[in-house]
Amino acid sequence: MDLDFTRAERDFRAEVRDWLAGHVPDRLPSMDTPEGFEAHRAWEALLASARLSAVSWPEEYGGRGASLVEWLIFEEEYWAAGAPGRVSQNGVFLLAPTLMAFGTEEQRRAWLPGMARADQVWAQAWSEPEAGSDLAALTSRAERADGGWRLYGQKTWSSRAAYASHGFGLFRTSGARHKGLTYLMFPLEDVGVRPVAQLDGLPGFAELFFDGVYVPDAMVIGEPGDGWRIAMAATSSERGLTLRSPGRFLATADRLVALARDADPALADRAARCWSDAEAYRLHTFHTARRIAAGESIGPASSMGKVFWSELDLRMHGLAMELLGERAGTTPWLDGFLFALAGPIYAGTNEIQRTIIAERVLGLPR
Amino acid sequence: MDFAFTPDQLALAETVRDVLTEHCPPKALRAERLPAWDRLAAVGFFGLLVPPEADGLGLRLVDALPALEETGRACLPGPVVETAVVAPYLLPWVPKLASGAVRVSVVPPGGAGAPDADLADLIVVSRGSDGGAVVVGREAARLRPLPGPDPCRRLSEVSYTDATPLDRPLGPALRAATVATAAQLIGVARRLLEVSVSYARVRRQFGAPIGSFQAVKHRLADVAVGIAFAAPLVHRAALAVEAAVPDAGVPDRGVPDGGVPDVDRDVSAAKAAAGEAADLAARAALQTHGAIGYTEELDLRFWLARAWSLSAAYGGAAEHRARIREALAGGDLRRYP
Repeated sequence: MDLDFTRAERDFRAEVRDWLAGHVPDRLPSMDTPEGFEAHRAWEALLASARLSAVSWPEEYGGRGASLVEWLIFEEEYWAAGAPGRVSQNGVFLLAPTLMAFGTEEQRRAWLPGMARADQVWAQAWSEPEAGSDLAALTSRAERADGGWRLYGQKTWSSRAAYASHGFGLFRTSGARHKGLTYLMFPLEDVGVRPVAQLDGLPGFAELFFDGVYVPDAMVIGEPGDGWRIAMAATSSERGLTLRSPGRFLATADRLVALARDADPALADRAARCWSDAEAYRLHTFHTARRIAAGESIGPASSMGKVFWSELDLRMHGLAMELLGERAGTTPWLDGFLFALAGPIYAGTNEIQRTIIAERVLGLPR
Repeated sequence: MDFAFTPDQLALAETVRDVLTEHCPPKALRAERLPAWDRLAAVGFFGLLVPPEADGLGLRLVDALPALEETGRACLPGPVVETAVVAPYLLPWVPKLASGAVRVSVVPPGGAGAPDADLADLIVVSRGSDGGAVVVGREAARLRPLPGPDPCRRLSEVSYTDATPLDRPLGPALRAATVATAAQLIGVARRLLEVSVSYARVRRQFGAPIGSFQAVKHRLADVAVGIAFAAPLVHRAALAVEAAVPDAGVPDRGVPDGGVPDVDRDVSAAKAAAGEAADLAARAALQTHGAIGYTEELDLRFWLARAWSLSAAYGGAAEHRARIREALAGGDLRRYP
């Protein structure tokens, strides 16, 4: 057991740190405004020009074949540098791993390089009005058409869909519940999009209406009917590692400790606790990365990470709101607080995660 | 970067676990003061950290960490950490230390007393905050038992007529003891979770196992999360303790800015998190068991008591949290690694 970075890993950290120091822009407008969305796309393109927008991808798709540990290092440096939120998050960290694992080489070549440059920005389409935590209850469907599929139904809480170019999600092609679901990509131009304003007043997600939108067979990922298994593999990695890396929380914790430095010791103690907890998430992730590198699957244990980081993030931002009081709105902490509030809800509510932990990790009865 | 225990480290823990399963079952906790000690001595447990020139194995703290966790899991009585971890740092010259023939107890700075001092041959007594300490032979010590929650880890106040000043600094030994105690707390917490899950699977009410109810599930899930994110802090602290020793033989560890960040801060993070994880596990275990858990008759009481006694040993969570806060207030936010 050791915690030693290699020389190559330290050189990589130094390179990333230097590049970011010279390129990170001043605070961009929210990515959920038209001008902010374009500014964030431009930033992604700049990142891609240095092959830093998807470091863990193979080189032929625009990455640099970085190891998991190098990716974690990149993320630490990225958030410590105060770099912008990732408008390509859904594509780079959720769809791309799915394409790597289940897509065809043709699909990877067609979509990954453009995703790395944010030529296309991807929205996710999981939830429906009657299928939230119970995702297998979804009813949006894909019907066989000549050389492809026609999509019908409604999706909701589709992150980035207000401005994105493409989407991906599950559609029913036969059967009931988990059986007969198919994983599909689709362009958003023929889809009815109703932007939905979030707590901050901006349309971070949208409702999607499908009325016979045509997609060719080349937009199916994996086999028709195998969508549930493919999506679960992706959400497992989403919850476990790639959705929220430790770097984000380490950077928040550092800023929180600075904010609480002259505060009452009771409040400063809470900040110190958050700082230690962010470290615990980092170390836990180093252990997970080691398991993945050894070929192990982290499976339902990834639910533990999701509960931990989402509640840590909320504790940190909640404490910042207490420390700042009525002045919170003049700082970035308010937006961070509103964003943190979503953490225990998205990617499977924390109630669902706790049930998964109890049943599939601890072995308690259904 | 290989942040996982090696097969050798895990095999050592497996050996200790097998010994304890056979020789330190719950009924032994009611009948003996030092169950399994002679068996542990026979497999070399007390010589793990003793230098080779004193007949020990000269292992690092991190090598023994999974084995120490097993002593917590089994609720092993006696001055385990003091004999197996503190003594090799402070008293490596004592003959037969590695063989387990000499038992050692410790009154740490700020501690109320020495654990199981009546079973110890030597007692290290710290003298206030200056870091100094003395060694007292059992025959020169007068013990006054202190009431406490743990029937298998009894504290005594120590006064003495004759003592030998210790010429070694107490700090490194105390850091190691604190991390080792944190490892034991992780073991205690894991056992508390296991017995709670087992009970929740078989205990039926309203025609169903109580473990099928979400209120019970989510409480136990929180315990699992607490343990999962406390353990890596303990493992890191064991490595940091080692890295802080200037001549540890690993000159190029990749620590930012060329120095090792505040080790005491990392040790405090480990102890606070492990203590709180064990406290949460104890609270959940008692609540899951209900009234039967609130009895002296059920073996659960030994693990509840151990969670409480070890949480307080070598500084409680609040004390360690305050140390972390003070360390961070100094402005050094560098991390190890």
